[in-house]
Amino acid sequence: MNPPEAIHESYTRRIWRRFHADTMARNGFRTIIVLFIIAALAPFLANSHAIVRVAHGRVTFPVFPSLEPIEWRFLLYVPLAGLAWLLRRRLLTRPWRGAGLLLAVIVLIEIWLAYHHVVNDPSNDRDRPATFKWMPLVAYSPLETASEPFLPPSWTHPCGTDSTGRDIAARMLHGARTSLSIGFVAQSIALSVGVTLGSLAGYYRRWLDIVICRLIEIMDCFPPLLLVLVAISLTESQNHMFYIMVVIGLTTWTGVARLVRGEFLRLSNLPFTLAAQAGGAGDLRVIVRHILPNALGPILVVGTFGVASAILLESSLSFLGFGMQAPTPSWGDILNESRLYIDFAWWLAFFPGFAILITIMSYNFVGEGLRDAVDPRLRIK
Amino acid sequence: MALLRVDNLGIRFGAAGEAAPAVDGVSFEIAAGETVALVGESGSGKSVTALALTRLLASPPARYVSGRIEFEGREMLQLPERELRALRGSGIAYIFQEPSSSLNPVFTIGYQIREAINLHRPEIKEVTGEIVRALNTVGIRDPEKRLNDYPHQLSGGMQQRVMIAMALACRPRLLVADEPTTALDVTIQKQIMDLLKELKQQSNMAILLITHNFGLVADFADRVLVMFHGRIVESGATVEVLRNPRHPYTRALIECVPKLGQKQHRLKVIDYAGIE
Repeated sequence: MNPPEAIHESYTRRIWRRFHADTMARNGFRTIIVLFIIAALAPFLANSHAIVRVAHGRVTFPVFPSLEPIEWRFLLYVPLAGLAWLLRRRLLTRPWRGAGLLLAVIVLIEIWLAYHHVVNDPSNDRDRPATFKWMPLVAYSPLETASEPFLPPSWTHPCGTDSTGRDIAARMLHGARTSLSIGFVAQSIALSVGVTLGSLAGYYRRWLDIVICRLIEIMDCFPPLLLVLVAISLTESQNHMFYIMVVIGLTTWTGVARLVRGEFLRLSNLPFTLAAQAGGAGDLRVIVRHILPNALGPILVVGTFGVASAILLESSLSFLGFGMQAPTPSWGDILNESRLYIDFAWWLAFFPGFAILITIMSYNFVGEGLRDAVDPRLRIK
Repeated sequence: MALLRVDNLGIRFGAAGEAAPAVDGVSFEIAAGETVALVGESGSGKSVTALALTRLLASPPARYVSGRIEFEGREMLQLPERELRALRGSGIAYIFQEPSSSLNPVFTIGYQIREAINLHRPEIKEVTGEIVRALNTVGIRDPEKRLNDYPHQLSGGMQQRVMIAMALACRPRLLVADEPTTALDVTIQKQIMDLLKELKQQSNMAILLITHNFGLVADFADRVLVMFHGRIVESGATVEVLRNPRHPYTRALIECVPKLGQKQHRLKVIDYAGIE
């Protein structure tokens, strides 16, 4: 039974508490947070440039000039999101001012990035003499062909090197960004499409439902991988990360749409929907403010499972050679390369495969934990 | 002038010529401040008539085949959606049978009353004070604390009080109570009906009470409309209808009510063959 002080907790609070009671879900969630932090800090964890370098009496930070705009974004937006979350109460007391403030910061960052010049310095700080230098954990850049090919894991190369002598650990750390952000963004796109179409079909029914359901069935006739391959091969802007996200998102929304439609069919028959309409609420208000919040639990659950399958789909794409452009690291891409040398270079397949496994498992644990947490029939401490 | 005038209303479900009419040539009037009971068995068209007043029936499958519904001189069946929405809640408000599922389970009751007030009375600045007042009038103790309760934390009687508070917060001219006490046990029934009676005396609000409980009707309504198979078969002052019902269906319906102190082995069942 619930402890007495739990009687007055909110819906989200209750779900969070039940979710937190599940050890696997809790650890999965923590792992995902750690993975995101690793992805955000990748240039500081694996780089051929020193983080701090003291030479000739001058202190320099060689890492920063070489950062790409996308890396700056990760570096600036992740803390910004965290800060906004911590200050959410203060920002929400004056929503317009809060939103304006955030928007201003984002615009400032983007303007600065637009004029920012990336220094492409092929040299490294590993052998350069200095009074003091603080090198990243892995002292190699992901694109750098710095060593012998096919070196097995050692202290200098914790995950070995690949066929051109690039450090696998560095490529994995940077590749985390690709895999994680593709999973996240692709699933966000799939969720927005699926929730919109599903709620329209479930609420308005009739011809709209028929049209949307047939669309779902047509999409479901094709294996998603095939759809993604066709969509990617049809365009010029191949291999662009954003494009892959969009394509994966636009081909995997059917499951979400079917679930949301079912929820709306069920919920719009309940008296509270009629009560909301009788109180003068318009269709949009009934859909967004009254029915959708009731369907949020199941949506969240399929959303998490979807992230896992999007990551897997991106890996499959890279493995087939349709993923990210050649030098850009991604876990699937490293795995793809390992195929040719699997008989002697086991580390090429093991590390990226293991990373994918851990990520997928974490997302699945979180999804299962959420599913149990939102189900009121299951009694959890 | 009548507050609400329904004239020859006809409603069908499904394709043309296929289905029997759910409501067939129903006409009645409700004056401001009057309490009218609409009585009939399940499926007789009571709720359909009530929902039709603000065009709440999804159309299709429902079709308004004939008639007029005039509320404060405005033709509801012709009114554009926008104006109709403005009247729902503030002109004609509803309370439904099952309070437990008529409240949205994921929001606090304070939030739900706030939404109703914001929607229909945007001029009110002190909304929280207004919510507390609304909960006070329906006899909920400690309203400041109850504000943050979720519907499942309240009993059925309390939930129905909240529904009433929400309906009344918009100051409707007509309250449609669609079997407001059917899902509640008898003692709570009495409390809720007493509350409605008391609230009615305070404001000049008309009530359309939909029920199949003649006990409520005798105690509560000024006039009675008896509905059977989509038609109004009898209407008149409550005392008159209850004392000498003229239509055989009304008579049968009244005879179904078990009386205290009367020994009966078998409850009377309506004999439809004798009515038609």
